[in-house]
Amino acid sequence: MKVSRRDLLIGGAGAIAGLVLSPVPWKLLGDSSIWTQNFPWIPQPARGPVETKYSACTLCEAGCGIRLRMAAKCPVGITGVRSHPVSQGALCALAFAAHQLNWHPRRLREVRHAGHAASWAEAQAAFRKACAEGPIAIIDGRPGRAASSAFEAFTRNHHGSYQVVLSAESQALSPYARWSGVSVASLGYDMENARTIVSFGAPLLDGWGTPGRFTRLWSVRAAGAADPQLRLIQIEPSLSRTAARAWRWIPVREASEAALAAGLARVLLEEHMVNAKGPMPQLSLAEAAAATGLSTEAIHDLAHTMLENRPVVVIAAGDNPAIAALNVLLGTVGAPGGIVRKRGDVPVQIAAGSLPSSLRAVLVDSTVPWEFSIPTDAEVFRFAAWDGGGNKAGWLLPAPGFLEELTDVPTPPTFSRETYAVALNLVAPSTEVQSAAQFLLKINPTLPVVKKVIQARCEEIFRGRKGTVYGEHAVAVTKIDSAQHLEEQLRQGAVWVGDAPSSGKLQCDLKEWPAENRLARTINWATAWVPPVFPALGTKLYQESNLRELPAGRQG
Amino acid sequence: MSARYGFVIDLDRCTGCGACMVACAAENNVPPANPRATPRTGLTPILVRKVSNGMEGAAHREAFIPIACMHCGNETPCVRVCPQQAVEVDKETGIVVQMPQRCLGCRYCMTACPYHARYFNWWDPAWPAGMERSLNPGVAVRMRGVVEKCNMCSARLHSAKEKAAAAGRKEIDPADYIPACAEACPTGAILFGNLADKNDPVASASHSSDAFRLLARIGTEPKVYYKSTEDWVKALAERDSPQPTEAQHG
Amino acid sequence: MGLALITGWTAFPRALYVRREQPLQFQHKTHSEKSGLTQCDSCHVVGSDGEFNGIARIETCAGCHAEKVGTSKAEATLVDSYIKPSRETPWLVYSRQPANVWFSHAIHTRRAGLACTDCHGAYGTSDQPKVYEQNRISGYSRDVEGHSMSGLGRAPHDGMKMSDCEDCHRRRKVEVGCLGCHK
Repeated sequence: MKVSRRDLLIGGAGAIAGLVLSPVPWKLLGDSSIWTQNFPWIPQPARGPVETKYSACTLCEAGCGIRLRMAAKCPVGITGVRSHPVSQGALCALAFAAHQLNWHPRRLREVRHAGHAASWAEAQAAFRKACAEGPIAIIDGRPGRAASSAFEAFTRNHHGSYQVVLSAESQALSPYARWSGVSVASLGYDMENARTIVSFGAPLLDGWGTPGRFTRLWSVRAAGAADPQLRLIQIEPSLSRTAARAWRWIPVREASEAALAAGLARVLLEEHMVNAKGPMPQLSLAEAAAATGLSTEAIHDLAHTMLENRPVVVIAAGDNPAIAALNVLLGTVGAPGGIVRKRGDVPVQIAAGSLPSSLRAVLVDSTVPWEFSIPTDAEVFRFAAWDGGGNKAGWLLPAPGFLEELTDVPTPPTFSRETYAVALNLVAPSTEVQSAAQFLLKINPTLPVVKKVIQARCEEIFRGRKGTVYGEHAVAVTKIDSAQHLEEQLRQGAVWVGDAPSSGKLQCDLKEWPAENRLARTINWATAWVPPVFPALGTKLYQESNLRELPAGRQG
Repeated sequence: MSARYGFVIDLDRCTGCGACMVACAAENNVPPANPRATPRTGLTPILVRKVSNGMEGAAHREAFIPIACMHCGNETPCVRVCPQQAVEVDKETGIVVQMPQRCLGCRYCMTACPYHARYFNWWDPAWPAGMERSLNPGVAVRMRGVVEKCNMCSARLHSAKEKAAAAGRKEIDPADYIPACAEACPTGAILFGNLADKNDPVASASHSSDAFRLLARIGTEPKVYYKSTEDWVKALAERDSPQPTEAQHG
Repeated sequence: MGLALITGWTAFPRALYVRREQPLQFQHKTHSEKSGLTQCDSCHVVGSDGEFNGIARIETCAGCHAEKVGTSKAEATLVDSYIKPSRETPWLVYSRQPANVWFSHAIHTRRAGLACTDCHGAYGTSDQPKVYEQNRISGYSRDVEGHSMSGLGRAPHDGMKMSDCEDCHRRRKVEVGCLGCHK
């Protein structure tokens, strides 16, 4: 049969008509568009049972209460816990993306030595060798943990020195520790009973201490009120976030805080506005005015304003003895509303600035801030969950990341009561990690084991019969029937809070006005963020908006 | 039940910390910035902007204003212009619901929005390897080429509805539904609730003499109110842009 | 034209869908008749927080099948390949919806009072799994798209596309906006 062009055309038209009346074109069109909705490179959330877990954040010493939403055993959301007595539902801005940190591109996934990949076995061998060859030091960024007791035990047994790195908040309390002989970890501020807070550059509303503690207090008692119950006076060269919301902002020249403290002390003493009779600073009022850029009248007025609503407490941004001396003059040390001594007593620890000069090796725990420079040319064994970048010779050892290890959370430095919480390993690590404590345990199996130390501490709290456990409900310790039950509650995310501090238990002897002028660390919005890297979503704050600026030296 | 969910944001209490921005991004599966993203091309469903009174020296004042979708109740501009009906005003809740899966990316809505509260996915979302395990299963992930915006954390509304249904209730428990921004705010500056419920604190706050809305003169009837005791902040409400010009002060 | 019509209505559907095997031949009938699991929600549970667990997790199966209790090949596969190594069985889900769909079992079963069979058919008495046919282009199952391409002769519970949801909502006069079904 000959197929002509006409046949072809008729056949074609018929085929098209038939096709149109068949599902083919319509289904293909629809299915193709659906196909475009499911490109394989667009990530999909996991499907799995959804659970809620409670814990404490372990990224810095604040230990904020956190609630995690878990799907398929992985955290998919993090938020604060409103009933937590310290953090009261707040977290620092970056913590809301902390649950994603474990997959940060800079997550340390292998042991590295001098820029090359190495193994845990090699690192162990090198550290053992170092311990045998000379004195070592262990640097701890968060003293008071169960792991810290392992570090201390190791250095005792191996002729080493145990040193701690203090946060800015702890450094601000250091003068009182030096003058009273009480450990810095036992000191805190009784802000809830203060009526005037004078902050010399401490970012009280922007990531200071346990963020929620002061932001909630301030929100209730100060915000928006022309005559607030709690007066916040912020002394700072530029208008920081805290200064912008404070009741008064006192602009002073850079690095003139000590001079202002001296000037204020002069006024207070010369006009007999305080009970104390001394010590008198060397600086005159005119010199203080010249240094700060304020007029003498302004300093005079500030001194009077400070005393209008008492109790008044002065908070420094770092280790500033002149500002601490001001507190001593004002009588706030050991008094309600001021610097208080928490009930539990912690042994005095040595700050890391005073490392012995000849060391064979230094082991740095993952809790030590990344930018902490180790002033030694010893062999460095640096534990970290993330690589903060920069040239770091020595060993880089992958530590557990966020909620990947069992650890405990001792009292945050600025709080007025003892607290204790436990953070379980809620997330399975996706890479081979070891904490510094586990690493040391392999060398010395007699060291305290974190799990046992936590158990012992819970027993101690139980036996002490003091304080309250805040979980789903608040329960007095006296009403808990066993230490195991108490520990179980803490493991489920509850926090124990001790009794209020007793007054009059803290005394600072100050014979002379402090002459030395320790420069405070420069504080920026990221100082409180301890991990070496920002969470991936931090870009919302500094790249995708102008809200914050990426501080120099920090990586996204 | 017919609710009108809305916010009252207390600018006396906003410290500009940005917790709301991060919490929102985490809850809504907003990806971290593409390396080429800038403040103009980034994805920030809630954006905290710094404003000042334009004065110098000791008279200089600053404040922070969180801006997200206002969920306009009257002649909602984006709804009116969308050729795809990819956005609608939900009758039951008053939420202006953006359906990115329907969006064809013409960005007409971005032009129409008087509050610049809409954001375009210039790039496909990309998370570092493995981080997709931390994505919120309650929120669909978008792709390149679509517009997105604040949806009042409707995933949380869904969870609240399911919880109510499982307990045999028709109405949700208000305590079960709080958007991520309001929950994250450390000073409680962001108050969320049902504006139509007389007993809800947000309703009375919205009637306070210190409460105002942005660009009230254009009549969009936003469901996001602001509150401030500072007159210079209130004066910003009718400006076209949050930045003051020289003519502003004095 | 006839050729195109015939091809379009017969060969095309066969070519468009690929048949896939479930990881093991699960028998609902055995479980509902012999094991006292007479209700769908013995294993497919709406939790107290409203979350629906879908197909039971391996721990649920392990509750009875930690060791083999029968002689079938399917059970052997279950115990050896999934229960013992604690792996989730990779079931092919007939009603898997797109990622942007929010369907609440809690609301449909508790508030609307729908029975499982209203949407899923009388599956609880089946003695073998339904055939899983997957659309090669869209990736969705034929149960969701609807077995009948023409729409004729369609069973009440055939098809779970948006239009099917809309039809039921329209019949029962339950108005929901986009927010009611999308995430």
